[in-house]
Amino acid sequence: MISAQDREVPKGLVFNIQKFSVHDGPGIRTTVFLKGCPLSCRWCANPESQSSEPQLMIRDLKCTGCGACASVCTEKAISFKEGGKRHINWQRCNQCFACVDMCLFGALTVVGKLMTPVDIVEEVAKDRIFYRNSGGGVTFSGGEPLAQAQFLQEVMALLKQDGFHITLDTTGFAPPAALDRILPLVDLVLLDIKHLETAQHVKLTGVDNRIIQENARRITDRVQTWFRMPLMAGINDDADHVSRVAGLARDLGVEKISFLPYHEGGISKWPQIGKIRPDFEGRAPDEDHMAALTELVSRNGLQVGIRI
Amino acid sequence: MKLAEQLKKKVVSRAVRNVKRGSAEEESNRGMYRPEIRLDLQRSRFFTESYKETEGQTMVVRRAKALASLLAKMDIFIRDHERIVGYQTSDINGIFHPIDQNWKSPARLVNSEAGSSLLDEAGKKELDELCAYWAGKSMSDRHQAAIPQSLKKYWTYEGTFLWTQLSELGIPDYERLFETGLKGRIQAAKDKLAEIDETIPVDYLEQKDFLEAVIISLEAVIHFGKRYSTLAETMAGEEKDPKRRSELEEISRICAWVPENPPRTLLEAFQFFYFIHLVRYMEYSTLGIGIRIDKIFGPFYERDLAEGRLNREEALEIMQLLWVKFNELGLVYSPTVSSVYGGVASLQAVTIGGTDKDGNDVTNDLTYLALEAAKNLHLIEPSIALRLHEGTPDKLYSNALDVIKTGVGYPSLFNDESLLPLIEKWGVPPVDARDYAVTGCVYIEIPGKNVMRRAVGYFVLAKCLWWALHQGVNPKTGEQHGARTADPSTFTSWEDLLDAYAEQVAFFTNKMEQLDRINLELIEKYCPRPFYSAIVEGCIESGKEARKWVYPSMIHSFAIVIGGINVADSITAVRKVVFEDKRVSLPELIEMMDKNWEGHEDIRQACINAPKYGNDDDYADSIARIVLCRGEEAMETIRDRYGLPHRGDGSAVSATYGLAYDTPATPDGRLDGDFFSDSTLAPSPGQDKEGPTAVLNSCAKIKSIETYNHLLNQKFPPRFLEEDTKPAFMAYLKTWKELNVPHLQLNIVDKETLVSAQEYPEEYSDLIVRVAGFSAYFVDLSKGLQDHIIARTEQSLA
Ligand code: SF4
Ligand code: SF4
Repeated sequence: MISAQDREVPKGLVFNIQKFSVHDGPGIRTTVFLKGCPLSCRWCANPESQSSEPQLMIRDLKCTGCGACASVCTEKAISFKEGGKRHINWQRCNQCFACVDMCLFGALTVVGKLMTPVDIVEEVAKDRIFYRNSGGGVTFSGGEPLAQAQFLQEVMALLKQDGFHITLDTTGFAPPAALDRILPLVDLVLLDIKHLETAQHVKLTGVDNRIIQENARRITDRVQTWFRMPLMAGINDDADHVSRVAGLARDLGVEKISFLPYHEGGISKWPQIGKIRPDFEGRAPDEDHMAALTELVSRNGLQVGIRI
Repeated sequence: MKLAEQLKKKVVSRAVRNVKRGSAEEESNRGMYRPEIRLDLQRSRFFTESYKETEGQTMVVRRAKALASLLAKMDIFIRDHERIVGYQTSDINGIFHPIDQNWKSPARLVNSEAGSSLLDEAGKKELDELCAYWAGKSMSDRHQAAIPQSLKKYWTYEGTFLWTQLSELGIPDYERLFETGLKGRIQAAKDKLAEIDETIPVDYLEQKDFLEAVIISLEAVIHFGKRYSTLAETMAGEEKDPKRRSELEEISRICAWVPENPPRTLLEAFQFFYFIHLVRYMEYSTLGIGIRIDKIFGPFYERDLAEGRLNREEALEIMQLLWVKFNELGLVYSPTVSSVYGGVASLQAVTIGGTDKDGNDVTNDLTYLALEAAKNLHLIEPSIALRLHEGTPDKLYSNALDVIKTGVGYPSLFNDESLLPLIEKWGVPPVDARDYAVTGCVYIEIPGKNVMRRAVGYFVLAKCLWWALHQGVNPKTGEQHGARTADPSTFTSWEDLLDAYAEQVAFFTNKMEQLDRINLELIEKYCPRPFYSAIVEGCIESGKEARKWVYPSMIHSFAIVIGGINVADSITAVRKVVFEDKRVSLPELIEMMDKNWEGHEDIRQACINAPKYGNDDDYADSIARIVLCRGEEAMETIRDRYGLPHRGDGSAVSATYGLAYDTPATPDGRLDGDFFSDSTLAPSPGQDKEGPTAVLNSCAKIKSIETYNHLLNQKFPPRFLEEDTKPAFMAYLKTWKELNVPHLQLNIVDKETLVSAQEYPEEYSDLIVRVAGFSAYFVDLSKGLQDHIIARTEQSLA
């Protein structure tokens, strides 16, 4: 559990720092993933990003069945099947993480680490020379980074001072006040557009998209913006829908649309944090259709990229 | 492209398969060569015949006559696709073995499962007869007979170093040869003879013999060319196809002119070069090429273009023909050596890019043609060494990346700004340093100089650390094999261990040097190289054979060091686990290690989880810097026969896998026999968890100038080099450059592809991977070596 005291020093809850990111904005970047997200997209490939608390994450492949972890679990949440790997009873687990220290093999880990703005800057600064040579920088992604607006503001201010190019990758689902604090520090926004139909949006992500659309204007008025669009065959990839997104982009002065074709990369992570993946049958659009969509966006006078 | 596809079919791979792993057998039933390869006995036969006839003459003359006899008598042929001719053997599938160096290896090989397809029964019988002559006379026999009893145990490979008798490099002075032709060199020798007749120097007879031998060998090479000319003429007379007829006539004209005379066209220059390259091999088989192909041939190409003799397309075509020729060279290695040369044919690399002696960029259109030829043909050799410097054009980076993207493993990138200061530190004058070239892997040489750089052997640094933890005593036998270093129970810090390690490195370097010192003395006496002497600068001019002196101030002997990063990680783990966290005492740790960690997985994991080099973590990286530096300093305390220090070199070939077999568990958590980090700058397998930028940042903390010329392997999935991400990747390379990391080579392949190629080798016969400093067909590697390559961390793409 995070104590109130910890919260006072503005620390951010980070679940990953990915160096050498080349798909989260221009050049070579370090992407800082902040934990916690108000949306719950059915295709989410980073389920460990959703909760705004640190979580136990298990790696069964690494478990040797040595038994060390079970001895410290006061909740009796860990059990063993005949000579096999440890099994976690997630209902019982209270996320105390006592077991994590016991595991020598990396089969029990905590996802989500509290970091100060200075911690982040130090880490990000290590690759400064790569950013300079590639026109890259740092990207904040999530989860939803704007959910930790105060921390974000502090860390961005430090980075700004040091001259780093700052990208914000956001769902756009955030209070306008948060945007007002953050946008002046940002050089580029990657704004996710999932679906333009409110009913569909609610069904797919659990939230209303009207606030996102309003924020879209707020963002594009002030900062260079690219749209990012996860593409799922039969869900949001019809030419009509994409053409409306392109139209919106053009109206708002967005420069580029990046398509992120659906992939199943994150499926195995759901059981690792003791969660059940929502029912979702996703499929990436086929190549021909991708080419047609790419063409469609270009025709609108926009740049277009796949995964970038 | 069509031509390239057809040409590829003409190539018979002479790559060697690793049939041993250190001291252990490995998949030897597969055969050490592909089944169509034959051991060609003509060199052995004609050398032996000649040696018998010249009994009693001076050795330098005998060597020249043996070469002349081979070149005059061996069967020659011209294949129907060829416009550049010359073969090292009498058969298109042949390889030869220099029997005068060592007869036991081929004899043993052809009688073993691994080499049974190399010779038929009649061939085996002839080989036996030839071997009988060389018993007691081959260089290897002489060496074995000469080394004192006390040194013998170091001659046998035991796991710390593999001393190699036959490995020598050198780049001829092509610029000069192309100006004068071989006739110019003959004239120079004659002039020198006339001069010494006047001056009568104290070594008059020796000089006279040498110069006469030079003339014999050069005339023999000219004659060899003329034999091809005559053959081509005869063939032309019988040829029905007018196009082919005129090609044969062209060959005939060219071979009548070169190598006697200076080449006038690109094709003549290629043919000239290839004769020299070939004969250099045949005189005394060595590895590498090293020629700065764009710098040397660019002017010929430009002249041909300007004078309308050639267009770009034809130039590419003949370049591709030359490329195929490189793949016709191969060597017979001993089975033990196959464990370090898994997948190698003859380790040839050509150099492109870089600067001239004045520091001007040498890139020209031929630079790009070489890349195109390489890309079209997709063969394992020659590897391309690309020198990058401040003035390298962006286009060259970009075109190089397009070749790298095909997965062929080259060009391999060399950083002038990092390497030039190192070469100058070796004592090479800046003008010569700026002309450096790479002969194979990361062997660095100065073209045209009599440097005779020699890879003395493969040196396992990790085993030296192991000896340091055992006071040089083999715990199994109780025998004192290494230096008697201090008792580890008295160590109070990791620095004590470092001291003991450095002492072991010096001890074993000295043993290796002692072996080599005797070897080089024998080579000077019994294996002079009159032909090679004639084609490098200074030998004819001084009347001295290449063996008798070296180009001043060039490092001479080097050892290919492996496992250095494992030493660094081990010492870091000892610091953390033993001296800081005090989880165990050092003697306890050693005991656990010696039981291969059995029952002590907890401590092993603590060692594995200690900071590791390659993650941009100063704790581990700063120790790595010190450890690599101390190892090199220890080596440099040992001097060779020319008074020059021994040094390390990053050309690990497949030794990081093969020789790791004989190093027991180490404190970095590595298990007994497990492979080492795959190159001198690469993190241990799977230990780089922070991605490729962190790896480069870590590498940047190891200074070439404090160590040696390193090698760095990285593996990326192909999608990384797609058009979208290519600019970012270019920036990655530029940053590599700016960080002063000396070397980089890239394996562009998906892990899935490799795994699938392991399963269905028939479908992946063309799949090439970068092993260390060379590229190899994946299917030629043993399963274990394949696993080693698969285990390299794939630098992931976010
Ligand atoms: S994190 Fe969960 S499983 Fe681990 S010790 Fe605590 S309650 Fe038990
Ligand atoms: S401590 Fe780790 S390895 Fe051992 S049983 Fe628990 S999870 Fe598995």
